[in-house]
Amino acid sequence: MSGPPIPNAPTAEGRPAGSIASVFGPIGAALAPVRRTLSYLEVDTRLLGMVLALAVIWVSFDLVSGGTFLSPRNLWNLSVQSSSIAIMATGMVLVIVSRGIDLSVGSMLGFLGYTMAMTQAVWIPQALGLGFDRPYTWIIAVVVGVALGAVIGGLQGFVIAYGGVPSFIVTLGGLLVWRGLIFRYAQGQTIAPLDQNFQMLGGGTVGTRVGALGEWASWILGAVICVAIVYTLITGRRRRRRYGFPNRPLWAEAMLGLAGCAVALGVMWVANSYPLPINVALQYGQEHGITPPPGGLIIPTGLAFPVVIMLGVTVVMTFIASRRRFGRYVYAIGGNPEAAALAGINVRRTLMLTFSLMGALVALSAAVQTARLDAAVTNLGVQNELDVISAAVIGGTSFAGGIGTIPGAILGAVVMQSLRSGMVLLLVDSPTQDIVVGIVLVAAVGLDTALRRRTT
Amino acid sequence: MSRRFVVLAATLMLIVSACGGTGTSGTTTAPAATTAPVAVATTAAPTAAPPCTVGVSWNNYQEERWAKWDEPAIKAAIAAGGGKYISNDAKSSAETQASNVDNLISQGAKVVIVLAQDGTAIKPSVAKAIQNGVAVIAYDRLIEDPKALYITFDNVLVGKLEAQSVFAAKASGNYVIIKGNKADANADFLRGGYDQVIKAAVTSGAIKIVGETYTDNWDPAKAQTEMEQFLTANSNKVDAVLSENDGMAGGVVAALTAQGLAGKVPVSGQDGDKAALNRIALGTQTVDVWKDSRALGKSAGEAAMQLCKNSDITKVTGTAPFTTPGGNTVSSILLQPDPITSANLKDVLDAGWITKADLCQGVAAGKNASCN
Repeated sequence: MSGPPIPNAPTAEGRPAGSIASVFGPIGAALAPVRRTLSYLEVDTRLLGMVLALAVIWVSFDLVSGGTFLSPRNLWNLSVQSSSIAIMATGMVLVIVSRGIDLSVGSMLGFLGYTMAMTQAVWIPQALGLGFDRPYTWIIAVVVGVALGAVIGGLQGFVIAYGGVPSFIVTLGGLLVWRGLIFRYAQGQTIAPLDQNFQMLGGGTVGTRVGALGEWASWILGAVICVAIVYTLITGRRRRRRYGFPNRPLWAEAMLGLAGCAVALGVMWVANSYPLPINVALQYGQEHGITPPPGGLIIPTGLAFPVVIMLGVTVVMTFIASRRRFGRYVYAIGGNPEAAALAGINVRRTLMLTFSLMGALVALSAAVQTARLDAAVTNLGVQNELDVISAAVIGGTSFAGGIGTIPGAILGAVVMQSLRSGMVLLLVDSPTQDIVVGIVLVAAVGLDTALRRRTT
Repeated sequence: MSRRFVVLAATLMLIVSACGGTGTSGTTTAPAATTAPVAVATTAAPTAAPPCTVGVSWNNYQEERWAKWDEPAIKAAIAAGGGKYISNDAKSSAETQASNVDNLISQGAKVVIVLAQDGTAIKPSVAKAIQNGVAVIAYDRLIEDPKALYITFDNVLVGKLEAQSVFAAKASGNYVIIKGNKADANADFLRGGYDQVIKAAVTSGAIKIVGETYTDNWDPAKAQTEMEQFLTANSNKVDAVLSENDGMAGGVVAALTAQGLAGKVPVSGQDGDKAALNRIALGTQTVDVWKDSRALGKSAGEAAMQLCKNSDITKVTGTAPFTTPGGNTVSSILLQPDPITSANLKDVLDAGWITKADLCQGVAAGKNASCN
C-alpha cells in the first residue's frame, strides 16, 4: 500500500510537545504554564490527548449509565474485552508503519483458533490417545498456534516482500483463503469444550478457578512495574548524560515516576476491587472450608490473564519497536523505502519479518478469544481486521507510513471497545453502534491529521 | 529470482484452481446452454421409459451441511422413486445460479430443486422454468413465486419452541433476548415465535425484557460481550436468556459461567450443534431446537418424484398454503422441528446425529440418563 507520499505529512515523529499548543493563539497563551510543564516532562502530547479523550468517554458513559460504567466489574470486563484486539493492534502498527496493511488477521485468527482448539480437544486427547485436561496440553496448543501463525504470516510476507505483490492484495487473498480453509477442515463444526488450563488464558472461570492473577500476585506485578519504571528513568538519565544530551529536571523525573507508579498500582487496585462473583466465591469457600462472613465472602479477582498477556506483548513490542535494530528499520522503511534500501537496510527481509510477527501476535489473540469463548467456531474473528486497523489508526498510526506508536494502538483499542461495550450497557441497538463507531473513527483520524498539519 | 518465483507461483495457482474447480458432485457444468429449454421438454415427454431427472441447484456447496446431510437424503429419496439426480453449485453467486438453473433444464431436468442464493434475483429463471413445464421446489429458503413449492422448517415455530422450553423453566422475571444478524429475516421470524409465548407475560409485567439486541453475523464472541454487559447492567439479575441459535448460546453460557450462573439460568438455542447438545447433557443449556436436515432432504426428494408424475404443486402430499412476507400465497411443506432437552437427548443419539462420546464429554456419571 505504498501510495504517493502526501506532501504535508511529516516523515518522522519528532517531538511536537512544545509547539502543539502554540497554534491555538490565545488559548495557547493561557495554557502556557501547562505547555512549559509538558515540555519539561517530554510527554507525547498526542498520547496525552488520547488519554483525555478516553477519560471524557468514560466519564460520560458513567454519568449516563448511573455509575455502572466505571464500576470495577465493568472495567474488569472492558479490560478483557479489549485485550484481544489490543494484542493484534501492536503488530498492525508495525505493518502500517512500514506502509503495508494486513486484512487477513480476522480470518487468520479464526484459522489459528481452530487449529489450537483441534490440537487440544481432538488431536492430543483422541488422535494421540493422551486424554483430556493434561497439564501440558495448553502449552503445546499455544506453541503450535504461535509457530503456525508466524509461518502463515511469514508466507504472506514472503509473497509481499519478495514477490512484489501489494500487501493489500496478498492479505485480501489471505482473508478468503484462511476462512475457506476453516470451512474445509472444520466442516462447520464448533469445537468445544476446550482444555481447562487453556481456558484460563481467556480470563474465564472453570469451577472455582478464575483466569486472573488473584490479589497478591496483582499487587506484586504492580510493584514490579513500578520499580521497572523508576529503573528505566534512572538508566535513561545515565545514558543521556553519557552522550551529553540534556536531562529533564529532577522534579520532572519524579513526577513521571510517580504518575507511572500511580497508574500501575491504580490498575491493580481496580482489578482487586472486583470480587469473585457470589456463586463462585461461595463454592470456593465450601471447597476450602471457609465459612462465609455475614457480609458475604469477598475474594479479590485481580488482573485477568488476557490483560497480563497484553501487557507482556506491549512491553516486548515497544522494546522491539524503539530499542531494536529491527524496529528502527521498520520506521525507516516507512519513512522512505528507497532511502532505507540505499542506506543498506534489507527491506524485503524486514517486511517479511513484520508480517511474520503479526501472524504470531494473531495466534496469541486467537488463544485469548477461543479460551474466553471456551469454543472454536467457524466465524471466529470475522471483521476483526476492521477493529484492529481502526484501533491502530485511532491510536495515531498513519497510512502514509513511518508514524505510529504501540501504546497509542493499545489506547485506540481501549477507546473502540469502551464505545462498543458502553453502548451495549446503555441498550443502544447495533445499527446505531456501527454508526457511532464509524463516525468516531473518521473524526479521530481527521482531527489527528489536522493537528499534525498545523504543527509541521 | 523474484520474477521467477512469481511466475512459478502463478502457474501453481492456476493448476490448483483448475483441479479444485471440477469436482463438487460429479456433474460438470455443460458448455453454455444455447438450445431452448422447450426442446428438451418436448423430447422428454412422449416416452415414459427413461427415469425422471431431478436437478438440484446448490447456492454454496462448500458449507458442510449440504454435502453431509441434505444431499445424501435427497439422492436417496430420488433413487427410491426411480429418478435420476443431477446437480450444480453456484458458489454463492446469484448470477451463476440463474444460469445454473437453465443448465439443469437443458440437461433434461423435469423438476428443479433450488437452494436460493437470493430469493429475489432467482425469480426470472424460476418463472422461465415454470413456463417451460418444469416444476420448481424452493428448498429451505423462500422464493417469492406463487408457482414454486416451498419446503422448509417452520422458523416461527422454532422460535416458539425455544421460548416454550425456557418459559416452562422460568415463567417470570428478567429476560434477555440475543437475536441474530439484523439483515437476516430469520432473526425476526424467530423473534415472532418468541412473542407467541411470552408476549402476554411481558404485557402483564411478569416478564421484563432487560436486554435485547441483534448480533452481527450471529457471532458467538459478540454475543458473549453483549451478555456480559447485560449482566453488569442488571447486577446479575437475569433470570432467563432467549438466544436464537446455538453458537450465540455458547457465548451466553461462557458469560454466565464467569459469574457462576451457568446451569442456573435457562438458555435456548437451535441447530443441533454438537457443542450445544453437549451443553444440554451438562445442564448449562435448556433447549436446542433441532432441524434434521435429512428429513428436509427426504421430503424434497419425495415431493420431486411426485412432481415428475404431476406438476401441480398443490397436489403434492402434505402441502398447505403459506402467506409470504411479500404477500404471495405459495404452496408449502413446513416441517416440524424437534426441541431437544435433557429429557429426550436419546433422540439425537438414536438418529446417529452425534456420537455418545461427543454428547457426553465431561458429563458426570448419573447426570443424564442418555449418557449412562
